[in-house]
Amino acid sequence: MASHEIFSKLRTLREYALAQGARAHLEWKAEDSHLVRYANSTISLNTNEHLTILEVTVYGDHKSASTTLIVDENDLDTIKATIDKAIEMLAFATPLTYQPTLPSIEKTSVFEETYDPEVEALPNEDIIAFVNEATKGLETDDILLSGNFSSGVATYASISTETPEVVFSRKTDIGITLVLSSEKRKWEVNAEQFVSHKRDLDAKALHDRLSWLVELYTTLPEERLPEGPYRVVLGPAATAEYLSFLGWVGYSASTLKRGLSAFKEDDVGKKVLSEQFTLVEDPSMLATFPSPVDAFGRRREKRAIFDRGVLTGFLWSQQTADEFGGTATGHDVSNLSIALQGGDVDTTLIQDFACLPRDRDILYVPYLHYANIVNPTEGLVTGVSRFGALYLKRDGTITLPYNVRFTERLDQLFGDKLVWLSKELVPYGSSSSYFGRDPSTTLVPALACFDGVTVEISNESF
Amino acid sequence: MSVDWKSQVKRLMARGADYADVRYYPKHEEDFKLMWNGNFLAFNRSEESGFGVRVLVGGAWGFAASSNMFSPEETFDRAFANASAASTKVKRPIRLADKDVLSGRFESPCAVDPFEVPMAEQIAMMRELDGYINQDGVMQRRVMLRTIRNTIHYYDSEGAEIEKHIVEIFPSIHVASFDETGMMQGRKYQPPRRGETRGWETMDRDHWKEQADRIVAEMRQSVEAPKCPEGRMSVILMPDMMFLQVHETIGHALELDRILGYELSFAGGSFVRLDDFGSLQYGSSKLNARADATLINSPGSFGFDDDGVAAQNRMLIENGILVGAITSRQMVTEANERAGRQIFDGSGGTCRACAFYRTPIERMTNINIDPGQDGTLEDIIRNTERGVILSGEKSWSIGSNREQFHFSTDIGWLVEDGERKGVVKNCAYSGMTLDFYRSLTAVGDESTWEVQYVDNCGKGAPGQIMHLGHGVPVCRFDHVKVGE
Repeated sequence: MASHEIFSKLRTLREYALAQGARAHLEWKAEDSHLVRYANSTISLNTNEHLTILEVTVYGDHKSASTTLIVDENDLDTIKATIDKAIEMLAFATPLTYQPTLPSIEKTSVFEETYDPEVEALPNEDIIAFVNEATKGLETDDILLSGNFSSGVATYASISTETPEVVFSRKTDIGITLVLSSEKRKWEVNAEQFVSHKRDLDAKALHDRLSWLVELYTTLPEERLPEGPYRVVLGPAATAEYLSFLGWVGYSASTLKRGLSAFKEDDVGKKVLSEQFTLVEDPSMLATFPSPVDAFGRRREKRAIFDRGVLTGFLWSQQTADEFGGTATGHDVSNLSIALQGGDVDTTLIQDFACLPRDRDILYVPYLHYANIVNPTEGLVTGVSRFGALYLKRDGTITLPYNVRFTERLDQLFGDKLVWLSKELVPYGSSSSYFGRDPSTTLVPALACFDGVTVEISNESF
Repeated sequence: MSVDWKSQVKRLMARGADYADVRYYPKHEEDFKLMWNGNFLAFNRSEESGFGVRVLVGGAWGFAASSNMFSPEETFDRAFANASAASTKVKRPIRLADKDVLSGRFESPCAVDPFEVPMAEQIAMMRELDGYINQDGVMQRRVMLRTIRNTIHYYDSEGAEIEKHIVEIFPSIHVASFDETGMMQGRKYQPPRRGETRGWETMDRDHWKEQADRIVAEMRQSVEAPKCPEGRMSVILMPDMMFLQVHETIGHALELDRILGYELSFAGGSFVRLDDFGSLQYGSSKLNARADATLINSPGSFGFDDDGVAAQNRMLIENGILVGAITSRQMVTEANERAGRQIFDGSGGTCRACAFYRTPIERMTNINIDPGQDGTLEDIIRNTERGVILSGEKSWSIGSNREQFHFSTDIGWLVEDGERKGVVKNCAYSGMTLDFYRSLTAVGDESTWEVQYVDNCGKGAPGQIMHLGHGVPVCRFDHVKVGE
């Protein structure tokens, strides 16, 4: 649906809500998703989903209630009935201890800088040809291709009864995960890419990484690592995973106020992490699929959350600010635009890093599988390595370690244990969550090195 | 708008499809209410309607789904085109196992439909639960209530016509406080399934009051408790922890699509190989596990799966030996072919999608552990030299092939020389899956068996969240690594 049609529909719905005497916030989300999925060197699934979602939140005196609808976008009667339902529910909502703020959007904003019509129209043939190029010559009877090529468009628009202004964004994205695995030996290696425009697709980069890893995994010896501390170099996926947990227990005012935060209000202004650790939230970084304006119509600005290890403050959503008496910081967006600033190490690719001389053994871990927080107030995170770990030995040789488990405290990992970071940042993210298409990435140093990371369980095979 | 679904399926078959099915959801309703420290942070009603089309062309799947009902043929054609495109890269053409073609109807047992309960009554119940846990020492308290009502119409090209009406209710309470180090100590309760229904009538006020008092008392004990000792010892898993252990390291490990490599791009594989069926010593001889989709009161029971196959009750592990898996029509055929022998006799009826806009995949039903012969919880404690009783899942992390795991729990009680001692906090344990189940030395009797459930099991790409159940007894495992 064209943007002007969505604007028109939202304004019609706004008029309807006003006519019912409601104070309401209406959010329109639409997705057209296409996923080509590979498994066992076959296209195991090829799907399209076309979904339109309307979310309605109605506000009263110290009250709110919401409804969500996935429905035919042309079925205006059903859509209006969703507003009616929210109004009906509000009558039953019990008073809150605070007054929730109804968004008041002062100025219409349109963001389409990460939209590419070529991605929206990407045909099956182009996708299959791209994956063929990225994996050319790498599949065998034993080495099989798995993966996802997810492409699509996600549209967001919101309006409130306070003003007729609209916040609108349309984003396209392509998220690619390609996995090559040995059916007999059960090792698996991967390569990933996240872009907003078709022109940024790079089959060669994916092929270079996969072919290098496959060569290693078919020729080098495998090894079970002894448990104990290691110098570890993390790839983008693993670093982004740790940062996502830091986002939850490190600087969210909601987590803080509910007692789940690893850092406390007393920590603001203090150096709590390594001097090398500067984490920014910057909606001007297009690679993160940003939202330059939040759902309340606030134009968002860059800010450092950790500045050379110093915690500058917590991020407050409007709801948290309403409930706990703070000030919203303009972060009412579905995904933040987070970047961990790079360091001074020039090396970007593991292929190059593995060739450099080294004065000690180094464990390379590209990816953490199914990590989770053991204890939020401690910031304790556990997870298992996956997808092509390497043990780079001091003597220049390389072995293939079986997967290992780390359980680390975030303040220590990004504190005293942080050794160096690559200069170059790369995006790592996803196209969708369980709840719909919503592209996002975190920008992370291509490689990040840590000391004293403890292997606490070491697998006995691939 | 009325759509002739069967005609659309026939149209795809006439175009050359090998198979086609459609699932139409006229209305999927879900209410989610979250009360946190007395405030409703979520007070939401959601509704979904639309349809999903799955079609097999040239041995490959295509799928398309839409919430737009005005031009359904476009979605059917898109599914066909997707399958045709996918058929250009097929190593092993998909063949579906034979099934009985069924026309049927399933209604989950429900005496009082929660969507017919006045909102005011639901709110009053939640406030009452909040009142039960609003006690001295409780610094964070949550009451959650999620209710679902869904109707699904299923038609396939083989002639199946199935209608399902499913009602679910998922309530829980949670309390937390902080110990002297500032560390949160929490306790929660989501009631195991009792009785023979799945509706609002299961909300038993007296039971909630009793359980609320228990978890608050246990939370207070945790706040004051010493840390759990570290080292190798026995762990006695209560049903509210055992269900997650089973879920992660038996359930997911035995999904046949994972075993065959269909989830390697994200969720992961399985340490189980096709050669293992019939011979792998998965656990001690005390271990008997089954996939039972006929358990009447559990969200893992649904009448017919989304292949149109009737719900079943099949053994997975018998006296410790691996004998079965969680299977669909596609995967059993492929597994038998790849193994060069017949491991599986038809689909196990576990192929499910979470919504009209997702494609069906192997999902757990009710993955249960049969009650054993080792008596009550007190009997098991009496026969334990040194260990810890663990209750309440707090965190979970599992290897990509389900070969290893790390769990932490809300609370523990030390056991020494056959006696339950004091409470300990910050309990965690980890291990290798096979070593762990082989160290199973006690399985509680029926008095310890409870039907727990999972209402947020994630899997697949695009991602899906599923509801399912686990009937499990108290179990003891020896020589387990305990400690953060």
